[in-house]
Amino acid sequence: MGYKTKALFLSASTIVSATMASVGLPAVAFAQEATFVLSAREVGAPSYNPIKATRLNAGNTFIYDRMVIQDADQSFHGQLATSWESSADGMSWTFKLRPNVKFHDGEPFNAKTIEWWVPKFAGTENAFMTDSIAKVEIVDDLTVKFVMKNPDPNMLFNMASTFMGVPSPKAYDALGDKYGVTGAVGTGPFKLESFVVGQQTVLVRNEAYNSASKLSANQGPAKIKKLTLREIAEDSTAFLELKTGGVDMLLSVPTDFLPKLQAEKGTKVITLPGTEVFYIPMNTSVAPFTDIKVREATAFAINQKEILTNLFGGVGAEANNFLISSLLEAKVDPKLNISYDPARSKKLLDDAGWTVGAGGIRAKGGVPLQVKLWTQNGTEFKRITEVVQAQLKAVGIGADITIFDAATITAQYKKLNEHQLAVRSYSWGNADILDWFFSGKRLGHPNHSMWNDPKAEELNLKAMKGSRTWDERVANFKAYHEYVLSQFVFAPIYQPVQNFAYSEARLSVPATIRGTRLQGQTIVDIEKK
Amino acid sequence: MLGYIIKRLLQLIPVFIVVSMIIFSIIHLVPGDPIDSMMQIGSTPEQRAELTARYGLDKPLPVQYGIWLAKMLRGDLGEAIILRQPVTALIAQNLPHSLLLGVLALAFSTIVGIVAGALAAVFKDSWIDRSVMTLILLGSTVPSFWLGLLLILLFAVQLGWFPVSGARTWSALVLPVLAIGLGGIALVARVTRVAMLDIARRDFVMMLHAKGLSRWRIQFGHILRHALLPVVTILSLRIGWILGGAVTIEYVFARPGLGSLLITSLNQRDYPVVQGCLLMLAIAVMLGTLIGDLVQAAMDPRVRDSST
Repeated sequence: MGYKTKALFLSASTIVSATMASVGLPAVAFAQEATFVLSAREVGAPSYNPIKATRLNAGNTFIYDRMVIQDADQSFHGQLATSWESSADGMSWTFKLRPNVKFHDGEPFNAKTIEWWVPKFAGTENAFMTDSIAKVEIVDDLTVKFVMKNPDPNMLFNMASTFMGVPSPKAYDALGDKYGVTGAVGTGPFKLESFVVGQQTVLVRNEAYNSASKLSANQGPAKIKKLTLREIAEDSTAFLELKTGGVDMLLSVPTDFLPKLQAEKGTKVITLPGTEVFYIPMNTSVAPFTDIKVREATAFAINQKEILTNLFGGVGAEANNFLISSLLEAKVDPKLNISYDPARSKKLLDDAGWTVGAGGIRAKGGVPLQVKLWTQNGTEFKRITEVVQAQLKAVGIGADITIFDAATITAQYKKLNEHQLAVRSYSWGNADILDWFFSGKRLGHPNHSMWNDPKAEELNLKAMKGSRTWDERVANFKAYHEYVLSQFVFAPIYQPVQNFAYSEARLSVPATIRGTRLQGQTIVDIEKK
Repeated sequence: MLGYIIKRLLQLIPVFIVVSMIIFSIIHLVPGDPIDSMMQIGSTPEQRAELTARYGLDKPLPVQYGIWLAKMLRGDLGEAIILRQPVTALIAQNLPHSLLLGVLALAFSTIVGIVAGALAAVFKDSWIDRSVMTLILLGSTVPSFWLGLLLILLFAVQLGWFPVSGARTWSALVLPVLAIGLGGIALVARVTRVAMLDIARRDFVMMLHAKGLSRWRIQFGHILRHALLPVVTILSLRIGWILGGAVTIEYVFARPGLGSLLITSLNQRDYPVVQGCLLMLAIAVMLGTLIGDLVQAAMDPRVRDSST
């Protein structure tokens, strides 16, 4: 071997050795540990800082407790707060705090924590969460009073948000900008041991945990000692990991994987009511959707039942209005709900002057009823969009599908008048989503319907700012929702459920999962076999 | 030789500037921006404007490029908008994983490719030649993404020999290395075969036969040695390719690395990270080319002489 060849081999082996040393692969997992895979949608969540991060993964609810948490029926339950009350005028909220709670770093949780915590949101991307709070007053060591700028009946919903996990003031201030990345300290059932964004988070049990809510059967420390949360972007890979025993649980399973998982021996699938709705916004500023008859015809051309049955095997529910079914604001006048009615759809198009032409596509004045139908990449989106295209054609509306990635489609919406129809979804458990998607202040994106109607704006303002109590808020949002429905600015399609899958041989999971998602309240009850 | 190295290094400077401009332009001209990924349900248009200004995204593109370039020349690739860490730290965290995968895949494809190419050349036009080249052709036409999934199904799911994904054990490296490396064997084998057949026709080989050296000694001791020059050139060009090829494989195998970081950041339009990752891949290609040229010049003085 010549000198040059030797040098080449030497250089290559040096690179390999140096790289191997820096990669530093950890040891094989121990039997008492559990490994869960986070939802593919949560891959790349950059931080465990609930005050500043705009994306958080499920692990946040394992590290942090919140003041209150929400059950699947939308009811609220105390966690760090044991009770609360709002003044009659809605201008103050008083919270009694749970005693004897300590952060993972040994610091006490008390009224001073809340006095420090609420103002921390000011100037962050999550500031809207606490916008309505003017100041926090300490009543005693375990009682705080929020003095409001304006009544906010949505206070409990905000307090139950994942972004309202309460961090340790001492750790938060000490770590500064690195908080949530190099360290995160809460009062929750698990302590953060390590976090590599996009890869995995390792959590260890908080042996002193004593702040479980009533949604947990186990009121003490979690049963799992060490929990690894892996981030796997490819659903097929995650499925194969569960199948081969590489992981114990998938915290999200796409509905099209359900048949495969249900056929797997030793794998159990749990479903929870979903918070997602698939729908079609119609651009009301672009012909032919400037005509309410065409919008109404489009909405009644969508066969929700067919999509639910044929695409999703009956798992989930039809969407007949804009909100998830568990919300009170979704219980609108039944006449306003939108369900498949092809005869009505065809009659409306006839009335609007669109007559059936060559190839079954309608036309008016020689112009065919051919529209753009946008969607984003992802198997579910593509499949739903293809079925929607066929359903529209059945009533005489031709649709040309264009698929974008999520970031590009948002930029395209902002061009305001480029889009006509789109298949999209949102995931949210509050009626204020109506404001997000239909407010005249957000035309293009996220108001993809380009809906800017004086009456709608008035109802929106009343719902968003004019409610003092929860009941008033529900009534106001219901009225707003009903008006939006009456104007056919979107077509509802489908409400998926949340699917989780785990190995029955390796995990023991409660028969009933409490809460809106599988979060910290359930994790304390899960046991490694 | 020193003059040749300096000349080649100086030639890289304008290439680097042009590449940095292309990288910056491409990512900024693609529709979408990182602020959309940061907007929460309930946040206001004013908050959006404030965030856009905070990250300097309201400035004209040439100004943004100038700021990025000036920082980059000081070794600062900026702060990730979404991931909120210094880009250099994110790259430092991920690059070793990609390098390890890339180097092992390169080594695998080189060794197997040279052996396969040499066998095909030695047994030219026999069933061995035809079998080797057919298998290689098949291997090179299978997309690495699909090949990765097939390898998982066979070796991880059916046989249970290796883990499906991740980077938690050394055995987790085997399937990704195979998925990348198998695709690279074809080129190395073909170049080796053609080079060996070409060298075999040279006069000095006739002389070696006339001297009575054994067939194997001539083939592997002399012909293969001389045939390695074009192989080394090809290998150096593949350094960048290997890192780039790891992008999809890291995704399929849920491995850390530049590829995973790039895809995550691209989906969220985290400009500084995407720019940093693409820059690293471009530098890998440039360095690969440079190394190839230098090795070639070192092995064949005619190369450096012709360039002066």
